[in-house]
Amino acid sequence: MGNSKRITMQAAAELVKNGSSLTFSGFTIWRRPIAFVFELIRQKKTGIHLIEVNGGPQTEFLVGAGCVDVWESCWVGHELYGKYGANLSRKVGTKEIIVEDYSHAEMMFRFSAAASGAPYAVTQTSLGTDIHNPEYDMLGRAGRRDGKRVAKKKYIFAEDPFFDAGQVVLIPAVKVDVAVLCVQQVGEEGTVRVGGQYYSDPEACRAADVTIVVAEEIVPEEYLRRNADQNTIPSFEVDYIVECPYGAHPTGMFGRYDVDGAFLKDFYANTRTQEGFDAFAKEWVFGLDHIAYLEKLGWARMLKLRANTALNYSPRR
Amino acid sequence: MSEYASPEEYNLADLLCCAASREVRNNEIVFAGTGLPMVAIMLGQKTHAPNLKLIFEAGTLDGRPPELPTSVGDARCETGASRSSGLNDAFSIAQRGLVDLGYLGGAEIDKYGNVNTTCIGNYLEPDLRLTGSGGNPDINSFSKRTVFIMVHEKRRFVENVSYITSPGWRVKKWPGGEWVHRRELYGSAYQGGPSAVISTAGVFRFDEHDGHMYLDTYHPGKTVEEVKSLCQFDLDVSRVKGETAPPTREELRIIHEVLDPDEIFIPKNKPKA
Repeated sequence: MGNSKRITMQAAAELVKNGSSLTFSGFTIWRRPIAFVFELIRQKKTGIHLIEVNGGPQTEFLVGAGCVDVWESCWVGHELYGKYGANLSRKVGTKEIIVEDYSHAEMMFRFSAAASGAPYAVTQTSLGTDIHNPEYDMLGRAGRRDGKRVAKKKYIFAEDPFFDAGQVVLIPAVKVDVAVLCVQQVGEEGTVRVGGQYYSDPEACRAADVTIVVAEEIVPEEYLRRNADQNTIPSFEVDYIVECPYGAHPTGMFGRYDVDGAFLKDFYANTRTQEGFDAFAKEWVFGLDHIAYLEKLGWARMLKLRANTALNYSPRR
Repeated sequence: MSEYASPEEYNLADLLCCAASREVRNNEIVFAGTGLPMVAIMLGQKTHAPNLKLIFEAGTLDGRPPELPTSVGDARCETGASRSSGLNDAFSIAQRGLVDLGYLGGAEIDKYGNVNTTCIGNYLEPDLRLTGSGGNPDINSFSKRTVFIMVHEKRRFVENVSYITSPGWRVKKWPGGEWVHRRELYGSAYQGGPSAVISTAGVFRFDEHDGHMYLDTYHPGKTVEEVKSLCQFDLDVSRVKGETAPPTREELRIIHEVLDPDEIFIPKNKPKA
């Protein structure tokens, strides 16, 4: 096996074709593959169909850069560092993007269905809300529901046929071409060990046709196999691995580094307009590779974010 | 119970935090959102509800964070937790009906407790796209009680919200969109609904039969008429109990010395110059 799965960040980003459907690891402002996302922007991807359990800075970067055509999810923002996704909001206003809204649990269950090979999930969440307003099927309105990679319907109501539980809603499994996970450790053969909450990473990985893992470090496979009970994802579900320390910055990584709140605050404040976003991209994305990005951030900033290895976060005092 | 603080000793965020913390009961399983609710729940844990169990949406179950997390995905959440997992666990636990109480927020609310966090204006041509639902409708669908914490402005307490993101007591039955009591839609999943709205003007509750919001208490310094005038819908003020109880000195000490000493969510009260 050896190092056959190991590729460069540039090669990894080239695996995402224009028009691909894509998803990521993490949760809001934690463990997002930002270094990978910046490489997608450098490669000027277009027509991405982004399907996320929840969004975050990675969504905002890709949407601001004009890479995304369709976003299916439930939430985007920067938590307390920026209350909503200003780039997405702007492009909804100008109709440069199609947004399909589901609830958070619905998105999770859609990934769970895909990860278990089921065509759809059944739930009782969000009944009576506008998420199920038939007028608000945005992919349907856009004529994108081909029944192949996009489900024929946004949802279907049914009555529980087994126990008379009442109304249920059937929601389609997601169809994802590529999942990109950003984690602490991956073995040379692809075994993943996530530290801390694993969010929806196992489902995102198994749901996708191709999974790329971007890790803080690639470790000997044998090391991870000594304690298989601590591993999150089996080797064969991972197709490619990339080593990239601080690859989630400015989002945080349990046990390694905290969220760079100041970076996100600045991004949120300065990218309300397209000109603002373009200036951000010029400064932080184009013309830099990951090492140059880290050098620009500087040691002082990165050391301040570095987690205490006993606490798994950087204590405030 | 220590004595109540006088008005110059606390600010509005303190008042909201304390009012919110009083909604939680001991031994309950509580779904915690980011921000002020997190401080409120942890305040409850350190006062009248030491045995409450905290669930973070990102996957931490029965967490006991020693330092305030800045979001539910935060590494701080899982320190001392019973289990660290993922969203599938958190939402399955909610759908299983194990959650007693959830704390939520919103941009707009109507008289039935329907809340909007998705957009302002027509969804198809929005004036402003907001964050979207997050787990708001899920927690609100499955918890026995939910508490909303909101900024009180007339443009937010509306006759009809721009978009029903999260279900109140009377919701829309699709595909037609007729208003029905949520009991009629949720079948076996029905356990309750919004139990309180804690705004910057007062505390509101709901008549579970007709689904209407009513004023329970108004905050110190406000009047019933003032609160009524801050709602676009006709607010029921027939059951007002009086003023919202202020924070106690002990609650203020816990908030500012123990839970949020760095003023991440709750600013310290600045004496007026």
